[in-house]
Amino acid sequence: MADGPQLKPPNGDASHGERRERQGLCKPADASNAISGGPWVLAFCPGPSGSTCPRPSEALLAELRGLGASLAVLRPDGGTLLRPEDSPQPLGPTPALWARHGAPPDRATLVVLDNEGQVRLCRTLDASADVEWMLLRALRDAARALAPARRVGRRELLVCALAPAVAAAVLDACAGAPRGADQRPVQTASSGPDLTDVALVINGERRVLRIESRVTLLDALREQLGLTGTKKGCDMGQCGACTVLVDGKRIDSCLALAVQHEGREITTIEGLARGEDLHPVQAAFLEQDAFQCGYCTPGQILSAVALLAERKGQALDDDAIREGMSGNLCRCGAYPNIVAAVRGVAGRS
Amino acid sequence: MRLIHFQRASGIDEALRAGSVPDTAFLAGGTSLVDLMKLEVLHPARVVDVGRLALTRIDSEGGGLRIGALATNTDVAQNGEVKKKLPALSEALLSGASPQLRNAATVGGNLLQRTRCAYYRDLATACNKRNPGGGCDALQGWTRMHAVLGTSDHCIAAHPSDMCVALAALDATVRVRGAAGERDIPFAELHLLPGEHPEREFALAPGELIISVFVPVTPQAARSRYLKVRDRASYAFALASCAAALHVEGGRIRAAGLALGGVGTKPWRVPEAEAALIGKAPSAEAFARAAEIALRGARTRPDNAFKVELARRTAVRALRRAAEAT
Repeated sequence: MADGPQLKPPNGDASHGERRERQGLCKPADASNAISGGPWVLAFCPGPSGSTCPRPSEALLAELRGLGASLAVLRPDGGTLLRPEDSPQPLGPTPALWARHGAPPDRATLVVLDNEGQVRLCRTLDASADVEWMLLRALRDAARALAPARRVGRRELLVCALAPAVAAAVLDACAGAPRGADQRPVQTASSGPDLTDVALVINGERRVLRIESRVTLLDALREQLGLTGTKKGCDMGQCGACTVLVDGKRIDSCLALAVQHEGREITTIEGLARGEDLHPVQAAFLEQDAFQCGYCTPGQILSAVALLAERKGQALDDDAIREGMSGNLCRCGAYPNIVAAVRGVAGRS
Repeated sequence: MRLIHFQRASGIDEALRAGSVPDTAFLAGGTSLVDLMKLEVLHPARVVDVGRLALTRIDSEGGGLRIGALATNTDVAQNGEVKKKLPALSEALLSGASPQLRNAATVGGNLLQRTRCAYYRDLATACNKRNPGGGCDALQGWTRMHAVLGTSDHCIAAHPSDMCVALAALDATVRVRGAAGERDIPFAELHLLPGEHPEREFALAPGELIISVFVPVTPQAARSRYLKVRDRASYAFALASCAAALHVEGGRIRAAGLALGGVGTKPWRVPEAEAALIGKAPSAEAFARAAEIALRGARTRPDNAFKVELARRTAVRALRRAAEAT
């Protein structure tokens, strides 16, 4: 080991190009321009478009999607607005944003604003820094920084909601900006020759998605709506992790196209609790310790909710529960406790 | 999955027009088609969603039940008339797949369910169904789940449906509509043997749409039973299964329906085995004789040789249950 490569010291971040962290030193966004509806990431890039500006890589888009954040890559002469589900949009100059956040003219600066427009993270990078890599790191850190403020899981969020404040400045800049050669649409799940608008009622709320016809209901929930409580297990209708209710009936969402269910009511695990009150089946799974790793649990719970509705007023013995839950596999083998949880709710109702 | 052009049909005529374009598939529940499109085993350029057509009714009609092609497996299995008059059909449906899949899968889709042969589903292997003339890796492969009846030198894929086995034993008829109008197909003629052309699976003309299934209500149908033997207690395809229907009067069998699943390249009904039961007392000997006839001509491989005896015993037990049914 002595001859091995030298490990960088723990405080050696500077060698990665990060000059200093100024958390809390930036001026907060103007209170009158408070942001709501979704976090924003502003990347101020002093150089010309190209090498020093982050490109919309898949990893970057995934982080943005996870945060429910919109990214504005800002150059002195313009920029690009990047929202995970949309094609990049060109922006005009944004001098007000540069001034407000005190972004220096010679080094890249990253600013993360939360739902309320408060600065949660602000970093100025060395000129030599890999902006894209630093942005990825900043987004990951931002996820941690934002989580307590939002009091929801980092993925439980409104993807792509336009935040009025920074959005106003950014959208002003959008108007009339020329579409340059470096602003071609990225290939995402929502681009292609067969885009279609699909309206779904998700957990009581009407949502309209612009997607390809081939997108499954499961992928639409997870990738378009950020409702990742519905799990992708086998992705071929054999494990039940993707179980959701459509008009009250349970199906495997991996074997349905979203467009098939236009106009229908979809219930996912996110839609079961009423505020802080868990659904009785959720509570029973907790009481009975009916899971280990938890990956199959949302599907198990939705399936149990449907089973209890299907058999309302009928006796439900353990064999009937096992048969009724046979479409949901649990690799941890929590079956005895799952049966106990379902039995408990069946016995009370 | 490849890109598709999607169209929702609001009426049967619209569906038929859209379906008449080459390289178009009808989409109902999606449990088979979406699965196979994701695997790229099937890759239609156009998909016509027929899922909202008004073909979901289950009605009494002239000595039988007419079941709409878009009734879900759950709808049919839980229908009071079906449970009372065609119990084997309800039992077969409930023995198949999972509650989630049964809620989505339709009767029409189930009639056209593709094989679960692992080689058919794996693009990295040779399959004459998927790639006509390309060869068959199953012949020298793992064949525990494969057919022993109706096979050819080009394909040994087993037919996977439980529902179809019951419909075969109950002498159903399938109504289809196409450019040339409507016609009824006797159940035994709907599915084709693989022969030299395993890629030809159904006796349907291009663009023909299944409208409904008619099942005669008979004394034997009302006492029909479905028995399925598989590797798990639930949610598994059949190693062997049997739908049996017997009308016993005065101690003698007056009418019989018998079909096997899990062992044939199509739902396996043997009229000679049924004929052998007529006039006999419902005895273990008579059942064993019928089962023997039903398995005639079986061609096995080392992995699936057990299926011959397993299917015989499954048939005998299903017949006994049908005889005991009241």
